[in-house]
Amino acid sequence: MCDACGCDLQVDKHSHDSKVIEVHESLLAANTAIALTNRAHFDKMGVVAINMISSPGSGKTTLLEKTIEALGETIRIGVIEGDIETDRDAERIRAKGVPVIQLTTGGACHLDAAQIHKGIHLLEKEKGGKELDLLFIENVGNLVCPATFDLGEHHRIVLVSVPEGPDKPAKYPKAFHSSQLFIISKTDLLPYFDFPVEEAKKEALQLNPDLQVMDLSATAGGKGFDEWLMYLRNLC
Amino acid sequence: MHEISLVQGLFEQLYSLAAEHGKHKVVQVYMEIGPFSGVVIDSFQFGFDALAKEDSLLENAILTIESPKAQYRCCGCGKTIEEEQRPKSCPSCSEIFFSAAGSEDIVLLRVEME
Repeated sequence: MCDACGCDLQVDKHSHDSKVIEVHESLLAANTAIALTNRAHFDKMGVVAINMISSPGSGKTTLLEKTIEALGETIRIGVIEGDIETDRDAERIRAKGVPVIQLTTGGACHLDAAQIHKGIHLLEKEKGGKELDLLFIENVGNLVCPATFDLGEHHRIVLVSVPEGPDKPAKYPKAFHSSQLFIISKTDLLPYFDFPVEEAKKEALQLNPDLQVMDLSATAGGKGFDEWLMYLRNLC
Repeated sequence: MHEISLVQGLFEQLYSLAAEHGKHKVVQVYMEIGPFSGVVIDSFQFGFDALAKEDSLLENAILTIESPKAQYRCCGCGKTIEEEQRPKSCPSCSEIFFSAAGSEDIVLLRVEME
């Protein structure tokens, strides 16, 4: 405590020419404000926005490619791709014939609401980009940082692929805590890896009892992939 | 390492506050970082120190971080446990499911400027 004025500041370097300003504002307030306008804009467009979060290489882009192949005729899909560098993912999605734009963060490890705001307007200039049912936002591959930033999405999905191992929910709780759906991907590789699916599901549900969990292989198709398509149809 | 982006956002806010109040030097910054914010406090402190060193407004500024613990409520018996880490099981009834309560926010509480 400061003896001179009784304030609770450290005495060290404490000058009485100084002024203490009470702020009580969130550092995320600026991002959250833009996220709210994004969400309002999505609602006005009549589109359901999905933020996809995972480590690099868990199969987000492949899942999107296969999803567009399966649903592209009946559901209008658009994609915002986020990466640190290159437009390779956008090229892969563009080849499937749906509106897509690439955001490159130039080093930043996550997308934020301001980038998505810019992204929506860029996407609207693409052919078909104004009339969408589903908008996928593929976040920068990173299971940590993207979880802190609301983009204005309606649903958040976290993916973990079988080769990454089953301990990810326990190690990276924030992404699982803030998501509505957890997808275990690349289940066609289960014979080659030690990945106890039920244990991984249980750990994720311990973190977030409201989490929905699916396990699927995008490339091998099958029951899990059909369940994913049904999930998306029900969102529209 | 999104802590660096968050520190940059904090600095922008401090610059506006300094301009608004006609101050030229930040002496102390008080933050509260919630247990579910996804922020590593050491990384935030590191980012603050690294960027403050290069900054005329923030040079020698002291950052103090309050970090309240999370509250875990047992889904079995309702016992509340205050911990940094999620408990493996309830000490009273061995239940493994808990509902967690705690802030996800990163709040600038107050700042001392001269």
